[in-house]
Amino acid sequence: MIEFRDVSFAHQSGVRALDGVSLRVEAGEFVALVGENGAGKTTLVKHVTGLLKPASGSVLVDGVDTREASTAQLSRKVGVAFQNPDHQLFSETVEEEMSFALRNFGFPPELVRDRVSWGLELFGLGEYRKSSPLILSGGEKKRLTLACILAWDPQVVILDEPTVGQDAIQKEKLAGTIQMLKSAGKTVVVVSHDIEFLWPIQPRVVVMKGGRVVGDGPATAIMQDRDLLGSARVAQPQLVEFYQELHRRPGTPFVHPLDAARWAEEAMRP
Amino acid sequence: MMWLSGGFIFRRGDSFYHRLDPRAKLLNSVLMFVTTLLARSIFEMVLVIVFMVGLSAAATVLKRVARTMAFTALFSGFIFVVNVLFTRDLETSVLYAIRFIAIVVSTSIFFITTSPDELEQVMKMFRLPRDVVFAFVTAVRFIPVMMLDTIQIMDAQKSRGLELEKGNLIRRVRNMIPILIPLVVNSVVRSGELAEAMEARAYGAVPRPTSLLVYRARRADVGVVCAAVALFAIAAYSFYFVVPVRFP
Repeated sequence: MIEFRDVSFAHQSGVRALDGVSLRVEAGEFVALVGENGAGKTTLVKHVTGLLKPASGSVLVDGVDTREASTAQLSRKVGVAFQNPDHQLFSETVEEEMSFALRNFGFPPELVRDRVSWGLELFGLGEYRKSSPLILSGGEKKRLTLACILAWDPQVVILDEPTVGQDAIQKEKLAGTIQMLKSAGKTVVVVSHDIEFLWPIQPRVVVMKGGRVVGDGPATAIMQDRDLLGSARVAQPQLVEFYQELHRRPGTPFVHPLDAARWAEEAMRP
Repeated sequence: MMWLSGGFIFRRGDSFYHRLDPRAKLLNSVLMFVTTLLARSIFEMVLVIVFMVGLSAAATVLKRVARTMAFTALFSGFIFVVNVLFTRDLETSVLYAIRFIAIVVSTSIFFITTSPDELEQVMKMFRLPRDVVFAFVTAVRFIPVMMLDTIQIMDAQKSRGLELEKGNLIRRVRNMIPILIPLVVNSVVRSGELAEAMEARAYGAVPRPTSLLVYRARRADVGVVCAAVALFAIAAYSFYFVVPVRFP
């Protein structure tokens, strides 16, 4: 679905943001991009929608080279919810905001109405339908941007720091939405520093550092690699640390970090 | 637009010119500016430009200044054509065209080598009201931030199918609405937050706050200013006492 072939990119300032990145994300996969600030995660994401074009190498989205297509064409397949919702909200009402992309893509009016209603209900924003998006709280704005993306049903959904400003309940709902997208066969890419949020969803984890991919594998394997995560300045999930601590003791009953998670959940149950 | 704005935005550097006393840099730019207005022959104007190009090279900003000059040359071309049409005097037209480039470069060198902090100190030395100084310096400091905001907003809207380059003039202007509204709203919100953060850190608590930086003129400052004064003196002398030699 998405393929990076030896992609390098430098910003105008000369800072090398991507350095020979090769990565393949299959259709229906759930991938988390983690790494320190400035590791190149957002730059990588911007290459998928053609907002940035590689200086060398190539990026293919559903077989289409991003250099051959406009951002509008690529966005029909790839929806990106950027980190700061204030960078996109401008309409008079929440429903107009949601319909913006649908109108840009030429959806018929009745479908636009249906999609808007569906998105607002899904993210609990129905009561704000006629309100200005600018008066929403930070968390609500974030949900609105996500609803805006899902409204046009892209094949790939990219979420840049989706948990910033979200409370525990909203994070749970977001995790549920990601599960729903996975079940619907969507390709989901999440850029996040929130390891505790990612751990229970068990994505494929791609670790970035200095514009390079330094680790790639299932969450259970990557999250146990303390040295790898440490080098990329990523903290381990608390449950994995807990498991590793217990595992050092002789006669431990745990053979897998998820055992520790289950044990902890049972132990904490009233 | 980026080219022109790039010619006036400060970027940190470590050249001798960057390290000069900001008062010396300001005085140098003002002298250059006035000298370009006084210069009445192409030779004098070229001399001023050579001096400024030399300073730019010493300040390691020659590439940026050259880009600004190239961009300004477009407007200079227009000035040249209009002057040729109305005055029918080729030499004066060339002089005006070069003068425009020289004026832009003289101010550009000051702004790209002087940090907002230094600018603030210079303005304070002229005893301008603190609020006015702060408003001006903050506006300068936030230009790159707003440019970054604009790029991020454009990215976000393009990702929602907005095509800025499509359609006729009216459509293109309308397409700017999704860019301008978030930009203005963000700026207003940011200014409110900044005001609150400043007040939380005792802004306005005393009428004359103390200063972190204290400037003293050094040899390099005096040297650059002397060179600028010499050029200015030549131009002033020539302006008042010498009848310009004109090509037949």
